[in-house]
Amino acid sequence: MFRLLRSSSVRLAFGYAALFVVSSLLLVGLLWWGTVGYLDRETAAVIRSDVAAIKEDLPYRGIPGAIQTVKERVEAISDGHAVYLIVDQALHPLAGNLSAWPAEAKPKPGWYDVPLFLAGRYRTIEVEAVALPGGYHLLVGRDIQDRAAVRALIVQGLGWAAGGAFVIAIAGGLLVRRAVLRRVEIINTATSAIVHGDLSRRLPTHGTTDEFDQLAQTINLMLGQIERLIDGIRNTSNAVAHDLRTPLAELRAELEDLSRTPTTRTGMLNGVQKAVTDIDRLISVFNALLRLAEIDSGVRQSGFRRIDLGKLVAEVAELYAPLAEEKNADFVFESDGAAFVNGDPYLLAQAVGNLIDNAVKYAPQHGAVAMRVIAADAGHIEITVSDDGPGIPDVQKPRVTERFYRYERDCAREGIGLGLSVVDAVARLHKGEFSLNDNHPGLVATLRLSTNGCQ
Amino acid sequence: MAAMKVLIVEDNDRVCQFLRKGLTEEGHVVECADNGRDGLYFAATGVYDAMILDRMLPGGIEGLSIVESLRRTSNRTPILILSALAEVDDRIRGLRVGGDDYLTKPFAFAELLARVEALVRRSQGLEIQTVLTVDDLRVDLLAHKVTRAGRDIPLQRREFRLLEYLMLHVDQVVTRSMLLENVWEHPFEPQTNVIDVHLSRLRQKIDAGFGRPLLHTVRGVGYRLSLNV
Repeated sequence: MFRLLRSSSVRLAFGYAALFVVSSLLLVGLLWWGTVGYLDRETAAVIRSDVAAIKEDLPYRGIPGAIQTVKERVEAISDGHAVYLIVDQALHPLAGNLSAWPAEAKPKPGWYDVPLFLAGRYRTIEVEAVALPGGYHLLVGRDIQDRAAVRALIVQGLGWAAGGAFVIAIAGGLLVRRAVLRRVEIINTATSAIVHGDLSRRLPTHGTTDEFDQLAQTINLMLGQIERLIDGIRNTSNAVAHDLRTPLAELRAELEDLSRTPTTRTGMLNGVQKAVTDIDRLISVFNALLRLAEIDSGVRQSGFRRIDLGKLVAEVAELYAPLAEEKNADFVFESDGAAFVNGDPYLLAQAVGNLIDNAVKYAPQHGAVAMRVIAADAGHIEITVSDDGPGIPDVQKPRVTERFYRYERDCAREGIGLGLSVVDAVARLHKGEFSLNDNHPGLVATLRLSTNGCQ
Repeated sequence: MAAMKVLIVEDNDRVCQFLRKGLTEEGHVVECADNGRDGLYFAATGVYDAMILDRMLPGGIEGLSIVESLRRTSNRTPILILSALAEVDDRIRGLRVGGDDYLTKPFAFAELLARVEALVRRSQGLEIQTVLTVDDLRVDLLAHKVTRAGRDIPLQRREFRLLEYLMLHVDQVVTRSMLLENVWEHPFEPQTNVIDVHLSRLRQKIDAGFGRPLLHTVRGVGYRLSLNV
């Protein structure tokens, strides 16, 4: 039983039934008070006014006056439902339509229900006994037999209604429980499958906007995020295995070679210097991977603030302009002026820096490099970085943002193959888009950000 | 650089010995603590020119707590925080609690030395200078004017700040990352050495055509503005 009560659906069903029964009882109580209660109060009021009328004359006419009044009342009785009796100290009747003081009613002031043989049969009479001065007693009553019948009818009706309510409450509770349980069961089955490794599975949604559907949608969103993160980890570990192991193997081989081959001091120093340079490169790969993981986890959104993209890009442009001049390339920077977005200035500077770095690297001698900050359309800002270098064939474009992917033309060049992955991740973090297009000739990279997004 | 007394609080013995050896070879005096409690005790009771604090320490007291405790007692000793925690937020927090500089492991010794020396120099040169001079090169910070041997040298805004930073650290080695962090507003890691291009342009302007070169490249480390080669 206690275990059963721990199930929230059972508790819900019980709670529902209890609430239903309580509200039914309240309703029954109200009906009782309004019908039977009303009749009771009515009879009591009539008796009370009779008693008051008889006692009214006592100060002036004494007991004989009261006897007189009782006699008059008995005369006036029309329906035979009223009872009057006035007795002396020894309970001998003095006046009234009862032959004796009823045994059920004590000669003590108070209210009593007494059965009396009246008009040919026993009837229930409600009476009030009153003590009069000098040891006399007065009894005034009304027949409530008819009222008792009505009361019994009402009690019976209310009893049936309460019983019905109870049955309906239990049934309703069980129905509620089943409906809830079914939805929970669906979510349970689906999530169990997901826990067992089927991450592509999603909870069914009904297209309604009820709470369960909202819950399912939220869980689906969460699953999507988890799947993306796990894919990211999988890709990264594959890439790390290849791109860190290979240089580590080379480094190890060179150091081992250095330690085994007798060489001059200068040769040894050169070898060590080369090893340190290789390690520095490995560290930068490592840092870039950590940064990517940090960006992908989304935690950096806490560092978001309002920044002027125009100013930020201008600063990066200024940093790179001399590099383009070294290549005698034509460097253009254009900005529509202040362009505010919510974002992480450090990451956006890094992303824009990576783009211009590539553009300057691939632009030919005397080529052209351009950076632009454009208010593209309402609510969007585009940063474009273009060069007139060899460009990237369409089939390769989607692949160059993959981790460690290097388009063949690159292999000979410096770089760790993570630059565009970082740009792509930064764009995603800012709920923006990153795209690569043909510049005829060359490449134009576009980072599109929303001015009001990613709050 | 005159001999400094440096406190190192670092639990990794090899890193500690590496630092001690390097700094001693440079003529500095080094004391080491290998846990947070000893570190805080030494730092609070001794007099040092600079401290190098690791962030994650045994002994119940973390590196940043040491910084906080010292700053609360108005101890202004320059502190370089050394840490394997490389995220930008970690760095910001380290500087916010009162660290003067933040260096991420793994690091090059030359980088660490340059940063510690820069910190000590900064803490000693308290008087505010409005005119900086090295040999016949003169930088007027208020008028934004640079002259060498009396000749005007027009510089762009960023070049001016670059030169100002080099002049403030005269005779000292300044690394590329120090320049990126202090001269540019949004420090990020450029994939190519753009800093070198800026420095070679600056050199063109302040050294070309004058007798003695002042801006020197320190191979594998960075740059030094100095009268001496």
